[in-house]
Amino acid sequence: MTLTQLAVTVALLGALGLVASRFGLSAIPAYLLAGLLLGPNEPEFLTVVRPSEVTEFVAELGVIFLLFFLGLEFPLVRFLRAGRHVMIGGAIDLAANAAFGLAVGIAAFGLSFGALVLAAAVYVTSSAVTIKGLTDFRRLADDETGLVLGILLFEDLVIALVLGFAATGGGTAAGTLSIGAKAVAFVLGSLLVARWLTRLVDRVLDGLPREFFLLFVFGLLIGMSATSAALGLSEAIGALMAGVVFADTAARMEIEERFFSFRDLFGALFFFVFGLTIELDAIDTVGWIVALAVVLTLVGKLGGGFAAGRITGLTSRQSLNVGAALVAHGEFTIILAQLARGNPKLSGEVKRDLMAFAGLYVLATATLGVVLMKESRRIGRLLFPVTT
Amino acid sequence: MTTELRETRLPGVGVKYTLLCGHGQRLAIILHNDGTRELYVFERPTDEEPSAVVELDDDEARQLGAVLGGAYERPKIVEELEMALGELAIEWIPVPADSPAIGKSLAEAAFRARTGITIIAILREPEPVTGAQPDDVIQEGDTLVTVGKLGQYAAFRRLLAEGPFGDQPRSPK
Repeated sequence: MTLTQLAVTVALLGALGLVASRFGLSAIPAYLLAGLLLGPNEPEFLTVVRPSEVTEFVAELGVIFLLFFLGLEFPLVRFLRAGRHVMIGGAIDLAANAAFGLAVGIAAFGLSFGALVLAAAVYVTSSAVTIKGLTDFRRLADDETGLVLGILLFEDLVIALVLGFAATGGGTAAGTLSIGAKAVAFVLGSLLVARWLTRLVDRVLDGLPREFFLLFVFGLLIGMSATSAALGLSEAIGALMAGVVFADTAARMEIEERFFSFRDLFGALFFFVFGLTIELDAIDTVGWIVALAVVLTLVGKLGGGFAAGRITGLTSRQSLNVGAALVAHGEFTIILAQLARGNPKLSGEVKRDLMAFAGLYVLATATLGVVLMKESRRIGRLLFPVTT
Repeated sequence: MTTELRETRLPGVGVKYTLLCGHGQRLAIILHNDGTRELYVFERPTDEEPSAVVELDDDEARQLGAVLGGAYERPKIVEELEMALGELAIEWIPVPADSPAIGKSLAEAAFRARTGITIIAILREPEPVTGAQPDDVIQEGDTLVTVGKLGQYAAFRRLLAEGPFGDQPRSPK
């Protein structure tokens, strides 16, 4: 990748991102689209960037920063404080959508590890797109918003577990189990270390000049990512746990402020690179899978959200809003596909299909989901003329 | 009348406060984790769409809070409420624009010695004076925060508005 290519890339990312935000859409599908356009796919005259070691490395950093922030705001404590409603809502959402996701996965890849990854990718709603929509469309004051955010919390926790083996699971069932066990051990170990590391980190950060503050945090982040990768887990888990280590330190706010721009920049480049590496030829094989998944997502998320709302005492209109807010998929779906791509136990064909699926599926649901969120009140008034 | 202020956590976003007002309007205040505040106004409690949304940054929100809290001008009803304290009262008293006390230090004006009223703080732009000291000088536009007995306020207001201060002997040092 040359500087010229990077300049063209960033210009297109900016332009498409602006257009998307003009229409109230999230920037994630815009970045994916930019990758599809500038990548080796048709149209060829637009092929400016080809996947290379450089783009791969940039994407890896993007994943690390995205998960670092998830770790910094890791919802475990908030989750334990959350009410019964969140558990019920989260469980309904998980049961409905993981089941539909698994059905799509098995239809696509048979009974295999690939099907499991696809199920997770279909299950997990995009927190980024949904929270942006709730803010943009002035829904934060609504009664149902608490339930929506609670369900997102629940999903984040489930996905954190899946991340542990998406990159390395598969092969024999025993092998997958041992990797799962290793992931759990790594997470528990980091949590234990985090408890006594917090004060030490605070003391070190307090005494450091500004430029070393940045280096220290970045070093620990990359160090933990490398460690978890060396242990045969994905770098994602290491980055997540690095975030958890810093989450309880007094410096958390400052770390967030200083690393926001890194996350936004490398996050954007990550989605772009992912778009680059999608092979559109795979459309022939994944087209129907995407279509099926989108339909089942509408059924699962709208139905699951509606049921969760009604059971926890919301009105029909409010429950419809809950479902509509959960349709959009985004960052987690892409990250899962990216991690699976580095998994040596998946065949090249499955990886290719998984990536094309994730890209197209996110393009479809992130757009559809935002439109649904915007219109859900009007639809609700049509469907339920009397508030109940 | 009791006011009902409800607090709801919005995980990943911040905290929401909902206030049902006596006139049937509903207010929702969102405290975002990043410090911005949003104020949603609903004309009727059952409205789905807010009729106004105001976005405030941290500074603006604090200033608005101070105004609403009555730190700048005490609404009449609050003044009456203060009397419920019994014989002792806390009063917010604006300094009249033509007050002869302007330019005098609290020691020179000697309000406490002459009326029994103690000045505990001075509200002024941009920074209020908390814990007023004898050498703090009264300026135009100030509002004095005072503590005293109710019966002493008439004399205090008269002294603040009319003086005299100039012919008071300075306390020897």
